[in-house]
Amino acid sequence: MPTATFTPTADVVAEATEAGYFPGRHTVEITEVTKLTDGVYRLTFRDQYIAKHARPAQFVNLFSHDPMKLLPRPFGVSEVDGDLVSVIFAVVGKGTAEFSGLTAGDHIDVLGPLGRPFNTKTASHYILVGGGLGVPPLIYTAQHLQSNDGVRTTAVFGYRNDHFADQYVSRYADATVSIDESEGNVITLLDRMEAAGELSRDGLAPVILSCGPLPMMKAVAQWASKRDIPSQLSMEQRMGCGYGTCVVCVVDTVEGRKKVCSDGPVFTAEQLGWEA
Amino acid sequence: MTENGNTPINVYEKYEWKHKTVVAGVEWKNPVGTASGTFQLAACRWFYDVSQMGAISTKGVSPVPWEGNPGPRTAESPAGMVNAVGLQNPGVDHYLVDELPKLKELGATVVTNVAGHSDDDYAQVVAKLADSPADMLEINVSCPNVSHGGMSVGTDPVALSRLIGHLRKLTSKPMIVKLSPNVTDIATIARAAAEAGADALSLINTLVGMRIDIRTGEPIISNRTGGVSGPAIFPIALGFVWRVRQALPDIPIIGIGGIDSGEKALEFLYAGANAVEVGAAALYDPTAPIRVARELDDLLDSRPELAAKLAAGETWR
Repeated sequence: MPTATFTPTADVVAEATEAGYFPGRHTVEITEVTKLTDGVYRLTFRDQYIAKHARPAQFVNLFSHDPMKLLPRPFGVSEVDGDLVSVIFAVVGKGTAEFSGLTAGDHIDVLGPLGRPFNTKTASHYILVGGGLGVPPLIYTAQHLQSNDGVRTTAVFGYRNDHFADQYVSRYADATVSIDESEGNVITLLDRMEAAGELSRDGLAPVILSCGPLPMMKAVAQWASKRDIPSQLSMEQRMGCGYGTCVVCVVDTVEGRKKVCSDGPVFTAEQLGWEA
Repeated sequence: MTENGNTPINVYEKYEWKHKTVVAGVEWKNPVGTASGTFQLAACRWFYDVSQMGAISTKGVSPVPWEGNPGPRTAESPAGMVNAVGLQNPGVDHYLVDELPKLKELGATVVTNVAGHSDDDYAQVVAKLADSPADMLEINVSCPNVSHGGMSVGTDPVALSRLIGHLRKLTSKPMIVKLSPNVTDIATIARAAAEAGADALSLINTLVGMRIDIRTGEPIISNRTGGVSGPAIFPIALGFVWRVRQALPDIPIIGIGGIDSGEKALEFLYAGANAVEVGAAALYDPTAPIRVARELDDLLDSRPELAAKLAAGETWR
């Protein structure tokens, strides 16, 4: 049972949109929860509004049913299918443990889509560099770019062990390469691509879109910067509201402290001062 | 009725308020405002018509831009949260040309929250706001997350009296003093503020608290301690409002702390508040402020004696 004291119903969400408002927290139906690997789950819910408006690197807030746990859990959109929206998450605490135990037909409160998306209007080859639980938004990035004929996408994913997201991203990316800690990391893969002449396309430089652990993203940004490849990094920080009002999820940038939720989550390497 | 017993309200429809309140001579469209620190126009305007709130209390403004504390700044706590933002804001000059005129253009009643590290900081901001279109000023002497000013002033009746007395000479605008609950005797502090020239009191700011990550043994937020807010502090806040009202029968009071429903707002009004503000609830439900206002508007229909007192600038107690 949702814990919100008021959740707009589908017709009220439609009315909010019509009136020019962004629909507030509302209740949706879960259609599937699947275990992908140990501690990692994929949850799908039905939401026409989010399905229609979500852009790559945008995220949704999911709310616990437990009135003791009020703050939302933010997750990047990992796939959209019609009016179905999927997220992939790891169980890291009691809130995510609760989500992993939900099943088709259960309801959950959501808010979204939130955040500024990747800029995907500048290049003809996007290299999607993801690590661990940073890969889900890159799956959606590949899906979103698939409809764009002139654009090539290469997924470059690093995992701790199980390559749990390859099956999803390979539906959409033109090429998928992945690696786990037994062999190396995403930089290993990027070096291989460079050696094989697979970075540029039609003589045009690629753009790197990245999401993953902070040390990985810093390494990726510096690797890209050394080669004059622009990079956009999707950041993570402990969030409160997720929509820009509470100002807790800050990251230090060359322009001062910025909110990850609404100034980001996407920042360029230059903004973060991460050039090599 | 919804599953949890509340009547669904469409917060997006046009609405005529039935019950207003008056705080220190300023009319509010309804008795529910937004609490400072939880409202940013650029974020909240997408979710509801902000001009429909009783008042908008904006994020604390300082004489120059403040960058606040480094992250992480928040940790969840049972039925609440611990935050230590450190009053990050773009400064009063930016506020005067950006958020304030935009809010006034929309038709909002604006309470400008004033922050400082020193008496001189507060004075600079109040002086700059004296001729601004802000409807009321709220002096933040209760932020627990800045190293100077904030709570260090609001927990010392002598320092508070000196500051408010000084600010009183700089402005004729209604001046609210926002009080900290982190004190031994709230009545002493409230009386010091009132006698030094405060027109109204708002309470409570957050309670000092912390969370520790048991994997590292270290505090989760970078400031180590933060301010606790959310439904967990509701009965504590209500108790503070009650005590201040018992000590000071006449001063207008804005009740703040864990309000997420019309019923909880009503409890504050029965404790003697003229108005309330919704804070943390907006962080987990963006439309909570307007929803609480609508719920309260309906609840006051069947309480004409209370509604009449509020409309006349009086209180239940």
